[in-house]
Amino acid sequence: MSVRRTSAVGTVVLYAGLTIAAIIVLFPFFWMVVTAFKQPGQAFSAEILPSRPTLENFSRVLSEFGFGRYFANSVIVATTAALFATMFATCAGYVFAKKQFFMKDKLFTFLLISLMIPGMMYVVPQFAIINKFGWMDTYRAMIIPHLANVFGLFLMRQYMMTIPNELLDAARIDGAGEWQVFLNVMIPLSIPIIATLFLLTFQFHWNNFLWQLIVANVDRLYTVPVGLAMFKSAHEELYTLKMAGSCISVLPIAVLFFFAQRYFIEGMTMGAVKE
Amino acid sequence: MTKRLLLAAVIMATAVVLTGQGCGGGGEKAATLTIWETYNDEEHPVFKEMVRRFEETHPGVTIDVVRLPFAGAEPKLRTALTTKTEPDMARVDVSFLPKLAGKNALAVLDEYVPEEFLADVFPVALKSCMYEGSLYGLPDQTNGLCLFYNRELFREAGLDPDRAPATWDELIIYGKKLTRREDGVFGLGLRNSLWWSFPFFNTYGAEFLSEDGTRCLLNSPEGIAAFQLKVDLFEKHGIEGGAWRAGGIQNDLGFQNERYAMIMNGPWAVKSLKRTGIDFGVGLIPAGPAGSHTNVGGNNLVVFKSCPDPELAAEFLMFVANEENQRNWALTLGQIPVNLKAMDTITSEEHPYLAVFVEQMRTAIPRPPTEYYPEIENLMIPEMQAALDGSKTVKAALDTAVREIDKLLAGE
Repeated sequence: MSVRRTSAVGTVVLYAGLTIAAIIVLFPFFWMVVTAFKQPGQAFSAEILPSRPTLENFSRVLSEFGFGRYFANSVIVATTAALFATMFATCAGYVFAKKQFFMKDKLFTFLLISLMIPGMMYVVPQFAIINKFGWMDTYRAMIIPHLANVFGLFLMRQYMMTIPNELLDAARIDGAGEWQVFLNVMIPLSIPIIATLFLLTFQFHWNNFLWQLIVANVDRLYTVPVGLAMFKSAHEELYTLKMAGSCISVLPIAVLFFFAQRYFIEGMTMGAVKE
Repeated sequence: MTKRLLLAAVIMATAVVLTGQGCGGGGEKAATLTIWETYNDEEHPVFKEMVRRFEETHPGVTIDVVRLPFAGAEPKLRTALTTKTEPDMARVDVSFLPKLAGKNALAVLDEYVPEEFLADVFPVALKSCMYEGSLYGLPDQTNGLCLFYNRELFREAGLDPDRAPATWDELIIYGKKLTRREDGVFGLGLRNSLWWSFPFFNTYGAEFLSEDGTRCLLNSPEGIAAFQLKVDLFEKHGIEGGAWRAGGIQNDLGFQNERYAMIMNGPWAVKSLKRTGIDFGVGLIPAGPAGSHTNVGGNNLVVFKSCPDPELAAEFLMFVANEENQRNWALTLGQIPVNLKAMDTITSEEHPYLAVFVEQMRTAIPRPPTEYYPEIENLMIPEMQAALDGSKTVKAALDTAVREIDKLLAGE
């Protein structure tokens, strides 16, 4: 009885704590949405809900500021980059986890060392290469330099190492070829980590500001973060417009996580394997 | 295949004919110049229109305009310069120009810009284009701070809504009448950074750097007195709302929400404040022992060394800074013109706010050009913060900051 009572109290405390945490986490989003509907100049008025809500910010962001175009650019860049980066990392992760080849461990260590170098250090040399290729002002320049993702490889390898070799051997005994083992055993078992990596890389590319700005010299190639930065000039920031732009920019991430979250939970139950 | 060859031949032939004609035109030259700029949404169309008119009067010339977000312009320019892919021209913040000039990235424009033209350029803004005695650009925009005040709060406190405090002493008296702590209303809200503190230093006659740029002089008796006033406004007189504190209400937000009756701000704030419907006035920076002197910010147009035709680029810079374009710029956007003749046409009857700014700018004191301005800011801010929150005396804080800045300037 007493055990149940403490657990009931515990539940209340837990839920109260979680509710407060949820409010803290969600309030900035709420404020962003509310501000996006405010009149310009009212951005910092203390009212919780705008007294004269307006859709003008959204229509201006989309028409005058060309956010439709930026949005499309971001979708193209982030989706392609995340798709290919995940694909390469999955293939490489499988090889590093389950195959033997000459200098495998040394090569892996070497790749890991590259993770220790801050990303900023790559910007100038990468830019020099892109420029030499004549790729300035192209989607290629925005996508290709980021396709080899060592962190993704590391993530994949660590996860795939936990998948028992017996499963692969069982498939081979059943007559599966190398591709079949990879496609029909390895990939389905790794879906949770593949989804995670896809989301992480998608989010990274969706938010990437500096690189996309550096390789684009025409505003028809600007992405959403670059477009958002346009609302801030030397001394002034157009907050209501910026928040409307931000609302549009969080949409795909929000949608992705909404669906991927379900996927994660399903994925968790999939690894039920007896050793 | 033959078709394609034929097409190529036709294109080449046309090109030859066209360029041939261009040369035959005499004096006219065909050229494309690229400029990277950081204008905001209001300014960008006005600038584009200016470019269009320049192209119209210079047949064969194309100015390629690339608009960058203000925040990303500097890293992008640095990357471009390291890989030699910089544009021909760029619009840069006044504090970035000495850095670029010091790194030998800019074209010297002395031979292209005639003396008569320079005589018309607003001297304070022009000074920000000079580095070690040479001209490295032309200003396209200049600004400085003035005192904004809420006329409604002035009326409620029994003050004349048409008159801003003329001196710091008067500001303290005004501030005491305006401050109502119980309602969270303060006479004044101030920002803490070196740039935002220059009006204090300047009105006390404190020098920033020595003539040769090797020593910082802000811990002079004048400098200490100036910053002591800023501290006192908060600490002793209690009329400043702590806007500079982390988590404090920022000065312009507090002004919009009528929590601060007075703030310092620049001409860029006028337009958005008008939209809020607040009844406000603009006055000169209150005078100190050395008079009323504001600080100077702004942007300059520069030409990079790699530009194949610096003469043409300089011509474009002069076009932007000429009387007609500057008057148009000022009247359309409510900004301070950089051309003296354009300045003279702004009357307080027609442009009450702008006229105050123009008047204030005439006595403004620009920063001496230094490659290290951003680093100096970074060294000053924590020390100034310590003085403001009372954890250090003003003298101790400024002494420490100056010691560090001198090390920086000596290249240590």
